[in-house]
Amino acid sequence: MRTVLSNTARYVGIVIGAFVLALPLLFMVSGSLKSATEINTFPPKLLPTTPVWQNFADAWNYLTGGVIANSFVFAIGIVGLQLIISLPAAFALAKIPFKWTGVIMASLVIPMFIPGNLTLIPLFIVTFQLGWLNSFAGLIIPMAAQCAFAILLFRQFFVSLPGGLIEAARIDGASWLRVLWSIALPLSRPALATFCSVSFLTAWNMYIWPQIVAPDPAHRVINVALAPLAGGENSLISPSVGLAGAVIAMVPVLIVFIVFQKWYIKGVAGTGLE
Amino acid sequence: MTTSTTPAVDVTTGRPEKTAPSAGRRSKRVDAITATAFVTPALIGFILFVIIPALGGLALSFFQWDLFSPPQFVGLDNIVRLFTDPDMWHALGVTALFVIMGVIPTVVLGFLLAVLVNTKLPGISVLRVFYFAPMIASAAVASVIWAALYDPRFGLVNQALSWVGINGPAWLSDTTWARPALVIMMIWGALPIVIILYLGGLQRVSDDIYAAASLDGAGAWRQLWSMTWPNVWPTTLLVTVLQAVGFVSGSFEVSLIMTNGGPLGTTQSLALYAYKVAFSDRDIGYASALSLFQLVLLGAIVLLVRLLVRIRKAYS
Repeated sequence: MRTVLSNTARYVGIVIGAFVLALPLLFMVSGSLKSATEINTFPPKLLPTTPVWQNFADAWNYLTGGVIANSFVFAIGIVGLQLIISLPAAFALAKIPFKWTGVIMASLVIPMFIPGNLTLIPLFIVTFQLGWLNSFAGLIIPMAAQCAFAILLFRQFFVSLPGGLIEAARIDGASWLRVLWSIALPLSRPALATFCSVSFLTAWNMYIWPQIVAPDPAHRVINVALAPLAGGENSLISPSVGLAGAVIAMVPVLIVFIVFQKWYIKGVAGTGLE
Repeated sequence: MTTSTTPAVDVTTGRPEKTAPSAGRRSKRVDAITATAFVTPALIGFILFVIIPALGGLALSFFQWDLFSPPQFVGLDNIVRLFTDPDMWHALGVTALFVIMGVIPTVVLGFLLAVLVNTKLPGISVLRVFYFAPMIASAAVASVIWAALYDPRFGLVNQALSWVGINGPAWLSDTTWARPALVIMMIWGALPIVIILYLGGLQRVSDDIYAAASLDGAGAWRQLWSMTWPNVWPTTLLVTVLQAVGFVSGSFEVSLIMTNGGPLGTTQSLALYAYKVAFSDRDIGYASALSLFQLVLLGAIVLLVRLLVRIRKAYS
């Protein structure tokens, strides 16, 4: 009887906590479908009386399909490029006997602890000197090069692969590239799921880098386009349209988060546990 | 690059038993060549976009540069200016306030919420998603949501306050309330990762000690503070350091989007000040010195925490 009671109390606590933490997001979803007057009525209605789908049409017109396409190019470009450069490097550091392994590992780990915002200015200058401002190269390549997390994650996974399997393949005459592609990669699905989900979410949600490197309309990404709606300077745009834009910006990451939740949480938990 | 070296591997390792010693040496060379080819693309990127910016930022602190005319060596001028710049001291104070107001509630709330959801009750995995959800909102998305919530006349926050008879402030343009408003929003965004890390820490605490404590008649609240809290101490340290770094550097995007450092500089942290010096004043040298100073401060915080740990260990 006592445990039933305490379990009920706990459930109530958990549900209240969930509601409070999710409240701003619930407000976003319900507000995005309310009319400009209804969003401001108090006490707020949980659901809009009549959903105003026009908000989404207006938000789409403001953000534009091109900006959303840019975001996909940007995020998928970073994930893809990081995979291409990190997987072979991680594999070599884990499985190929090589005298520089220790040095490379140490030099990768140390700068990981420097917050990205502190190297923002010099990173911008390198990109500027390369003539990459307002280009996808400038948006993607400098961010994809921040691949220490990817290399460490994949290396940790490759190290745990049974050595006998790889040795047998090598004796059978398989090249290292073949071992990586046909043996290591198919076994690495959990690590790939973790990396791809974390990297995609991080890239999609980036604001400051695309804002300084590629602010021109042709390369603008969704968070750069959305941010001005928070400053109050666009008073012509109703808050419901802004919230509809926020929903549009969140849909891709929400899908990735829900599908990859297990692996994503492992990944973000791992970043703090060195 | 990698494909051209791989056929050689097949040939050399194809007949290992005939010429075993030389094949061993050759395969060693093949290993070295392949490993070099595998790590080179990542290393080029790493050197160009991690090492050079890090060292370049350090070097630029000693130059005056506007991005276009040739940089001029000015020695320690930027460092001296740093300590005599009232805007810098103000921004440092704002950064410290962000950290103090933000980190302690984030850690304590994160711990309590993690204890709350650390259960195997049915349906918990679905409910936990709501606890993790704020994590996936970008700075821009969160800013749009919270700007609407904080709207002085129509925002939900002030509507709710007026309902209980309080006349709410104009949050984001109020010199007293803009900073707490941003801190509340940042705590909301930071809680999920703290909860996740504490859940990991809690799962390493053995259940036996609770069984023993229950037999001793310790109440739930007592158990929480005298048993659970000390046992997740390593997680607390990690979370505190991560959040200190997070509030120093993460406050930057939020205040840039929502208040642009205002009103009257009350939300202008060091990172935002450095950003403005770099991109509005185009004073790259001084901005680099500001970034370097922040890095030194963060390093000092980390060392201080490690020192505290050592002292604590020495006394226990």
